[in-house]
This record gives sequence, structure tokens and C-alpha cells, in this order.
Amino acid sequence: MDWLTILIFSPLIGILLLSLLQAEQKVTISLTGILATVLPLLLSLVVYAQFHGGGDLAISHQWISFGNGLFQINYELGIDGFSLLLLLLATIVSALSASVAAAQIKQGLKAFFLWFLILEIGMLGVFTAENLILFFIFFEITLVPMFFLIGRWGFVEREKAAYSFLIYNGLGSAVLLILFAAIFAKTGTTNIEELKTIMGSGDAVSEEFRFGSLLALLIAFGVKLPIVPLHTWMVRVHVHAPIAVVMIHAGILLKIGAYGLINFGIGIFGDQFAKVAPFMAVLGLVNLLYGAFLAFVQNELKSVFAYSSVSHMGIVLLGVAAMNEAGIQGAIFQTLSHGLIAALLFLLVGVIYERTHTTKLRSLGGLAKGMPLAAGFFLAAGMASLGLPGMSGFVSEFMAFLGLFESMPWLAAIGTLGIIMTAVYILRAVLGVTYGKTVKSFAGMYDLTRREMIPAAALLALIVLIGIYPNFITHTLQFALESIMLGIGG
Amino acid sequence: MLENAWLIPLFPLLSFLLLIFLGNQWREKSSFVGIGFTGISFVLSVIVLFVQMTNGSGGAEAAWLTIGSIEFRVGVVVNPLNALMLVIVSLVSFLVHIYSKSYMHDDARITTFYSYLGLFTFAMLALVISPNLLQLYIFWELVGVGSFLLIGFYFYKEEAKAAAKKAFIMTRIGDIGLLIGMILLFWQVGSLEFNEIFTAVRDGEVAEGLLTLIAILIFIGAVGKSGQFPLHTWLPDAMEGPTPVSALIHAATMVAAGVYLVATLFPVFESSPAAMTVVAVTGGFTAIFAATIGLVQKDIKRVLAYSTVSQLGYMMMALGAAGYVAGVFHLMTHAFFKALLFLAAGSVIHAVHTQNIEKMGGLWKKMRITGPVFLIGTLAISGVPLFSGFFSKDEILLATWYDGRYGLFTLGLIAAFFTAFYMFRLFFMVFTGDSRSTVTEVQESPRSMTYPMITLAVLAIFSGYINTPWFGTFLGDWLIGDSEFLPFEHHEGPVWIMLAASLIAFAGIGLAYLIYYKKSLQRDFLTSHMPNTYTLVFNKYFIDEFYQYTIEYGARAVSYLGSFIEKYIVEVIVAAVTGVVKSVGSLGSRLQSGQVQTYGAVAFVGLAILVFLVVWTGGYL
Repeated sequence: MDWLTILIFSPLIGILLLSLLQAEQKVTISLTGILATVLPLLLSLVVYAQFHGGGDLAISHQWISFGNGLFQINYELGIDGFSLLLLLLATIVSALSASVAAAQIKQGLKAFFLWFLILEIGMLGVFTAENLILFFIFFEITLVPMFFLIGRWGFVEREKAAYSFLIYNGLGSAVLLILFAAIFAKTGTTNIEELKTIMGSGDAVSEEFRFGSLLALLIAFGVKLPIVPLHTWMVRVHVHAPIAVVMIHAGILLKIGAYGLINFGIGIFGDQFAKVAPFMAVLGLVNLLYGAFLAFVQNELKSVFAYSSVSHMGIVLLGVAAMNEAGIQGAIFQTLSHGLIAALLFLLVGVIYERTHTTKLRSLGGLAKGMPLAAGFFLAAGMASLGLPGMSGFVSEFMAFLGLFESMPWLAAIGTLGIIMTAVYILRAVLGVTYGKTVKSFAGMYDLTRREMIPAAALLALIVLIGIYPNFITHTLQFALESIMLGIGG
Repeated sequence: MLENAWLIPLFPLLSFLLLIFLGNQWREKSSFVGIGFTGISFVLSVIVLFVQMTNGSGGAEAAWLTIGSIEFRVGVVVNPLNALMLVIVSLVSFLVHIYSKSYMHDDARITTFYSYLGLFTFAMLALVISPNLLQLYIFWELVGVGSFLLIGFYFYKEEAKAAAKKAFIMTRIGDIGLLIGMILLFWQVGSLEFNEIFTAVRDGEVAEGLLTLIAILIFIGAVGKSGQFPLHTWLPDAMEGPTPVSALIHAATMVAAGVYLVATLFPVFESSPAAMTVVAVTGGFTAIFAATIGLVQKDIKRVLAYSTVSQLGYMMMALGAAGYVAGVFHLMTHAFFKALLFLAAGSVIHAVHTQNIEKMGGLWKKMRITGPVFLIGTLAISGVPLFSGFFSKDEILLATWYDGRYGLFTLGLIAAFFTAFYMFRLFFMVFTGDSRSTVTEVQESPRSMTYPMITLAVLAIFSGYINTPWFGTFLGDWLIGDSEFLPFEHHEGPVWIMLAASLIAFAGIGLAYLIYYKKSLQRDFLTSHMPNTYTLVFNKYFIDEFYQYTIEYGARAVSYLGSFIEKYIVEVIVAAVTGVVKSVGSLGSRLQSGQVQTYGAVAFVGLAILVFLVVWTGGYL
């Protein structure tokens, strides 16, 4: 069975069913929308079981051929441990944010879910594509639905946010397209595995070409990650997109940047990457500290967590730049961990907004009184975000810094300042909202409903699970990590 | 048997989980869950202690995090030091659980309170049985969270919120030192298991300069946790938490974790004379520095808090002066008498509803149990002969003397004088004289509060006898035991030290007696004759203000600089990029002129270029 294809296109069933429904049937639409995301979730678990059962999931079909067979583009899918975990992250966060959306999206629910499910196809495809062209197609598929999801269902400045999303990501993908075309023209293949061998051997293409390609990759995925100063679009999206979409965006879409950097950057151009590693580390440090210091003076909850994402992605860069097992594993863990934590944080921000209709820090305070459970979850999410041991964030930060201290101890030492600043801005925001005197009392304040509780608890449970027993994932990652290390001669 | 020691932290964890998930309706009944589970932990700890004494040390481990060929492990280890810590922690926690039942029974969130206590106790016990530095670090942070949650227990008070935040951030600054030290150590040794670290250090595998750096970095962690100068400012503020919490966390157990860390890694510190000096000097300075602040504070809990900082300084000084046994011994006696003092203070606060000692007085006659037990605690901490603190403090002074650190020895003696003075100042102001309280009907606390105090009072008197120059140094012999990494040390110091220490204690008590009881000396000597000194000391040397103006405002300035860059540099670039894209777009749309001739011309030129390229590259495109 071609499980990967089934998985990727499984949201089509939901799309089909939704298009048969009338826009007025809100309950049925919500239910269908949520169930349509549960299906890929179940399928991704099947894929997980298959992967660990030793089943061969990779497939390859002839697809497009031109130039008398000189150029061939195949439909190739495959996964390794890293992409498998990202697939799981994508299906889990999608299902949870679909349930959030069902509660919070007031109008145009049907259209929302249609775009949402197309987006999911794109995300699943990105993490399973085994060749560059296919990757690019899925990558593009994620852009269009996002544009509409932000532009139509977002907050006040939604249109501006949608355009800046489109412009940045459009430029990023233009760079990607040119790069992929150039690689294709030079080597005659877009298969990632083949490219690893070709680019590693040293004869087929010039060193300059490889450096140029790597640079293009860094720009394209740097927009996505995002790397400072390419981050402003992402802050805007975090602040103005609807909460459910931000959960997807911070939880999964940004991870495409990290995935691309690790899988293509290190995977294909390992030797060149090693040479620019110190530069990457500096970028990572800038991200980490710039994000943290800016998060410290934001006056609005969503921007705090937007800059927090910038800062946390700095850890990914630092881990990758360490170029050793600990660092790269740390970067991978951070990718997954931040996906879960960011989704949880924004879910709770959504809850707070639902009650108070504001996310201004000045107007919020003492919420733990009216909504103790939500406040408790918020505090727990904050603790996860600042890297409290026992939660996933600690494991990833520890590994990233462990790795970085081996290769660049001074830089790492400066980076630890970021760990302190994270505690400072997270506590400022979280305690500012939940502790202290009640600034304003809001009518109709109520605690977490069961419907909000389930996704929050599920995310927190995963965060804690990874935190208390990280070997739960390292097992899956083992081979992926070994092959990456092989690529950089480790 | 000892491999099952993980059960000890498990029970408080269960208490935490039960209460947080199921306990919302249980109210006061929650206390039984907490008391019961920590009681089990205490019993198990005692059993483990005896097993350790008869059968020797042991433990077990399992893989936790694998990174390629690196493996980090979790597990338990039981040796004399942590067997002792297990008993101290579980006992004090058990007593505090009992005490809190009445102390907190009016509070609607008593279940939450007990769940946090469970979380803290779990983390503290798990910290103590860690067989490696990473696990210790993990629980080190978790006890910090327990402390943070309990300091901020009255979350609706701005002061509690600020204090909780401060405690978390200040200790985290220290923790970063520990984290860096730990990682550096890992890359030197290749493992974080204590035994492997000690072996590598003993075999000289780590260069001395680097070892000193690592030891000092780790010590920074201890400085943060144990409220040593200059990271001490959070500890007095932590008194915003409920008083039983102050007794458990901010007197007896968590703040002693820094001392425990240095003691556990003693072989590492001992290999670096420079690091030892740093530890000793930091400790000695903190001891006297905090004692001076304690002299003038007016809040009963703040006086005790500065006293704790000062006493922890003593312990650090002992360890830095190679007095391993002395440091651990004082950790133990201090845990008992300071927990006692805090619980008794809580009893007083419970009765008179204020923490200001100016508004107390004359409570001796009204609180027939709290008064005497507070006196016992005061005598013990002052180092009055035959009480526990006397023996442990004597041991510390002896160690510094023997180590040749005469300056620190003198500081220690002066600090002892201050200690006796401020403690008896406290005692006389609270318990003797006329009542200055607004509460007329002062009642003794209920039995669930007095019994734990009485238990601790007994320990405050007698726990010193397990290590005395007169009846044998049982504790010291057992702690050092047959450890291959700890040097055997026992000092028969000059007898005059013991005499001097006693005299100094009595001098301090005498002075306090004359000023605050007999009132034959003027109380406002300091305020009237040295107003500047008084202001300086009363305001804790303005260290908080100093941090506010340098670090806090510094961070803020950097952040605003960042915002400026974001607004005027990054966003401008963004606008430029967007502008370019837009103009390309409008150029593109202008090309869509609808004139077929133009389209044809463009198509022709394009085709020409393509043909040219195909010919030029030989058909390869």
C-alpha cells in the first residue's frame, strides 16, 4: 500500500464532503472539518507504525519526462525519522487547531475549512516529497491557502499581514525555484538522495555552484524560519492571523524552514555548510537575543510570542551551526518542541482573547482569579517555553547548547544570556496577565471549556512526555541523524 | 533495596498529581493526602538510611537521552550524604505538611497549596538522590519552580507576583553558571555521572585552570540557589510566600541545595585551591554581610531570612575551608532550628496577624508553647553551648582555623556575635515586655501546629550530639566513611576556639538583653549616632536599587535599542523590498497593454533568444 500518498491526499475526502454541504449547516461543517483532520492523524500513526515495523514506505513513479529522457521528474515520496516526526506534528497540530477553529471562526466556516484542508495537503506533501520539484509544488500549495486564511479571517490588519506573507514567501519560493531549476539543469536530477551523492562527490559541479546553491537555500528557508532581519512578515502574521491559523503557522509552517535547512542545507551541501557554520551561529545568536530582547518590551501578548518564536528559532540555528550530533539533534528537537509549545501558547492566547477581547498587556492582569485552569495551562506553557526541565523545551535547548559548547564555546556562552532573557520576558508576559491585581473585570468570564481543554491538555501532555522521556523520540530519529552525520563526515 | 529508593520521591509526586487533577473539591481533606504521602516518604527515607548504614551505598540507573554515542542516564544513588539529606528533607516536609493543615485551613486554595508542596518535595527528594549532574540540574530547576509557585501563592498580591518573578530570574542567573559548568565538564570527562567525574578529576584528566573555571561556574549556581552574595536579594523577598513554605523551602531544604551541590561535588572543588578560596570567601562575606542587615530589620520573617542567608554563608565558608563534615553538619542542624524558628514565627503571625516586630511583644505568657520553642531555636542558632548549633558552628570555626584562613575565622566570630544579638533582639521584642499588638485575644496555635514545632525543638537541642568532640564524631566518620574521593579529616583544634565562640554568643545575647529587655542601653544608638550607616544597612546596602538601575534598566535599554532598529532599519528595508516588488508588478501590468503587435514582438524576441541559447550551448538546456 502506498501509505504516503494516501496520507498526503487524505484531506481531499474532507474537501469533497465539505463541498457537498450547505454553508448554513454550521454544526455539520465543524464536525466534518474536524473529522477530516482526524483522518490524516490516524493515517500518520499508521505510517509511524509502518516505519517502525521496518516497512518500506518510499515510492517512485515516472511522472514527467522531457529532452528525450534526459530530464526526468518522478513522483517520489519517502520519509526518514525527522520528516516522520514532522508529519506527526503536522497532523496533530492540524487536528487540534481545526477544533479551535470550529469554535472561534464565526463566519465562512465552510470556506475556511476548505482552505485549511488544502493547506494540510501542502504541509504533508512538503515533509514527504523526495524530490525538489515535488517539494516545491507542495511548498507553493501551502502559500495560497495561507494567504486567504490570513486575509479573510484575521484580525484588524489582516490584509496587510496577508500581503506581506505573500510577498516574502513568494520571494523565498522564487529563489527556491531558480535554485531548483539550476540544480536540475546542472545535474539532471532532482531526487534528493541522488543529489546528496552528486554534491558530496565533488566532481560533478563546481565548488562555487555549491556555495551559491547553499546561499540560495539559506535565503529561501531563512525567510521561512525566519532569520533576522527577514522576520517582520512573520511577526505580522502572528499578530493578525486568526488564532487557529497562527497555531498552524507557528506550529508547523515555520518548521519548513528548519526542515529545509537541515534536510537540504546540511543534507545536500554538508561540506559547504560546515564552512559557513560560524556565520550561521552568529545569525542564530542574533535571532536568539534580538527576539528575546524585543519580546521583553512588547505591549501585546501575541507580539511577545511572535518575537519569542524568532528567539526560539535562533536555537535551531545555533544547534545546526554546531555541526555535531548533539547540536543537530537539539535543533531537530527544538523544531518539534517549539511546534507544540507555540501551538499551545497561541491556543491559550485565543482563549484569553475570547473572554476579554483584548491582548494588550496593559488591560490584562489577575486573570488567574476568574479562570484558574486557563491560567494554570498558560503558566505551564510559559514554563515549557522558557525551557523548564521536565518539558520538551529543556531537552532541545540543552542539546543545542551542549553541541555548540563543543564547537564554539564563546558563542555558546554569550547565547546563554538568551536563556535568562527568555525567563524574563516569558514571566513578564505570563505573570502580567494571570497574576497580580485584576486590572479590569470582564463580564462573562469563564474558565476553559471542555472543548478547549482537550487540545490544550493533549499538547501539554506531548510537551511533558518529550520532556520526561526524550528517548521516546531519539529512537525514531536515530537513522536520520546518522545519515546527516555521514553527510558532514561526522 | 537501595535501587528502590526512587519510591521516596514518587509518593510526594503522587500527592501532587492526585491533588492537582482530582482534588478541587477536597478542601481541607487535601491535607491528609499530602501528610499521608510525605509520611510514607519519611518512613522510607529512614529505612534507606538504616540500610545504607548497614549495607553500604547503592543505586540503579537507566538510559534517558541518547545522542548518537552519548548517553545520559537517570537513576538513584544512595550514599551517606544523600541518605542524610533524604531524612532531613522528608522529615521537615512531613512536619510542614502537618503544620500547614491548621495554618492554611482558612484558605480556599488549600488544595493547590498542598499540591505545590507535593511538587516541591518530590523535586527536592529526587534532586538529592541524583547519581549524575544532569539529573541534579533537572530537579534543581524543578525545586526552583516549586519555590516560585509557592512564593507566588497569593498570586493576586503584586508583591507576591514580583517576589516570585524575582526568585525565578535571580536563581536562573545562577543556574546558567551551573549549566555552562556542567556542559564544559561533560566535554572534559565525557560523562556527567558523579563517580566518573570524580575519577577523571582525581586522575588529573582535567587541566587545573579549566577545572577552576568549571568549579566556579558550578558554584555560581549554588550562589543563586543558596542566596549567597551577590545573588541573595531574592531570598528575603521570597518571604511573601506562606510561612510554612518559608520554613520548608527558604530555610531548611531548597536554599541548602546550593550547599549540598558543593558538598556533592566536593572532590571537584577540592582539586582547585582557587575555587575553594572563592567558595570560602563568598561564604564568609555573605555570613557577615547578611548578619549586619539582620540587625536592623523590623519584619520577623525578614530577620529570619537574612539569618538564613548568613547561616548558608557559614556553610559555604566551611566547605571552602575544606570542612566537608562541618558544612554538612551545619546544614543539618540549621535545617532543624531554622525550620523551627520559621514555624514558630508562623505561629506568632497566625496569632497577632502582623509580621512587624514593633507591633508584637509580651507574647511569652500567652503562647506557652511557641515561646519556649522559639527560645530553643534562638539558643541553638546563637551557638549557646549544649544546643545543636553550638557544635556545628564550632566545627566550622575549627575548620577555617585549621585551614589557615584566619581572616575568615575572625569574620565568622564576628558574624556569630551578630547572630546571637539579632536573634535575641527578635526574641525579646516578640516575647517580652508589654504587648504592642492590636490583637487583644492572643491564642496559642492548635496542636497540629505545635507538635511539629516541638519535634523540631527536640532536634534543635539534641541533633548536635551526633558529632561532638566529647562524645565522638559519629556523623563525620560515617559521612567520610570509606569513600575513595573524600579525604579523611578530623581536626582536634585548640580548645580556646570553643570557649571564644561561647563567650561571643553570650556577649551578643547580653547586649541584646541590655538593650531590648532591661532597656538600660539606648535602643536608637545606631539611628541617632550613625544615621547614614543605619540607612545603608536598613536598606540592605541598596543592592536591589543598584540592580534595578544597572541590570534591569540596562536590559530595557538594549530592548528599546532593538525596537528602534526594528522600526527604523528593518522595517525600512522591508518597505524598500515591498516597493521593488510592487513596481515590478506595475511594470508587468503595464506590459499587458492589449496591443497584439507588442505581444508578437516580445514573443519573437524571446524565441530568438531561446534559439540562440540552444545553438550556443549545443542543445543542452
